[in-house]
Amino acid sequence: MTGIIILFSFLAVILVAFMSIIQKSLPDAIILFMGVGLGAVVLFFVFQAPDVALTEAVIGSGISTLIFLMALKHLKAEHEL
Amino acid sequence: MNFKRDIATRTYSGFAIAALLILTILNILLQIGPPDIQRAGDQLLAMSADDGVANAVTSVVVYFRGFDTLGEIAVLFIAALGIGLMLSAHNRTTHEESNYILKKASRMLFPMIMLFGVYVMIYGHLSPGGGFQGGVIVASGVLLLLISREEFEVPHSVISALETFAGISYVLIGLIGLLVVDKFLGNFLPNNISQMGMLFSGGVIPLIYIVVGIKVGSEMSMIVQNLIQRSDDD
Repeated sequence: MTGIIILFSFLAVILVAFMSIIQKSLPDAIILFMGVGLGAVVLFFVFQAPDVALTEAVIGSGISTLIFLMALKHLKAEHEL
Repeated sequence: MNFKRDIATRTYSGFAIAALLILTILNILLQIGPPDIQRAGDQLLAMSADDGVANAVTSVVVYFRGFDTLGEIAVLFIAALGIGLMLSAHNRTTHEESNYILKKASRMLFPMIMLFGVYVMIYGHLSPGGGFQGGVIVASGVLLLLISREEFEVPHSVISALETFAGISYVLIGLIGLLVVDKFLGNFLPNNISQMGMLFSGGVIPLIYIVVGIKVGSEMSMIVQNLIQRSDDD
């Protein structure tokens, strides 16, 4: 069971990371990048590092996504992309 | 002596010096034999069994590496200071109307997020998480308020009072430890190993993590507010 979860999470992380790279629109890429963090949370938890999983969930998926989105909004306002 | 050599000579001499340094370090590394303890983690786990803290990670971060944690908090404080200096001059001028669903949902979600953040903070010595994670969860609750209510602003005076209080108490706890048990951030409260797993256990570690949580929470709230205000501005 654990093996299936690990395999699925690894594949999901790789897939989501690849999709995040090939996205044309930047907000979609940022949201998919958040998905990479969520897959990493599952992996950290399965590999018995719940502290790291919590940190990744809060900072990697939460705050860094906010910072990316805010920077994107600011750039759009400045350059009218 | 002519110090101004041409570029090729300088490049070659640079490579030569780098190679010499690498060889020296390799020589030193090869002379040191294999250590007795193969893994630092085993040693730390063995040590953390003594201080009555159920979560070994917390024991390492706060107790054995408490001084480093103080430095990390200083780094976060400087980051918050820099963001505040660069971005906080802009006041919020435009009021975008928030989504109705977001407004109603934030009313229900905000208390739960705050409660979870405080829980992660206080139970840092028992369950995964701790001051840093709890503080950031509290800040994400503040973020929800900021994006759902246009008129909401984090009060500066409260934040600065909380942050000052938390910073001073961290150093004070360390100094009391230095006075009582001759060790900075030493454990001067009773910590029975028989009480491991209880809420009141681990001596001074829960206190330090609560203080860290208050400090990180207030700093992250300020960072989030500065970012949101700045991007609403344009």
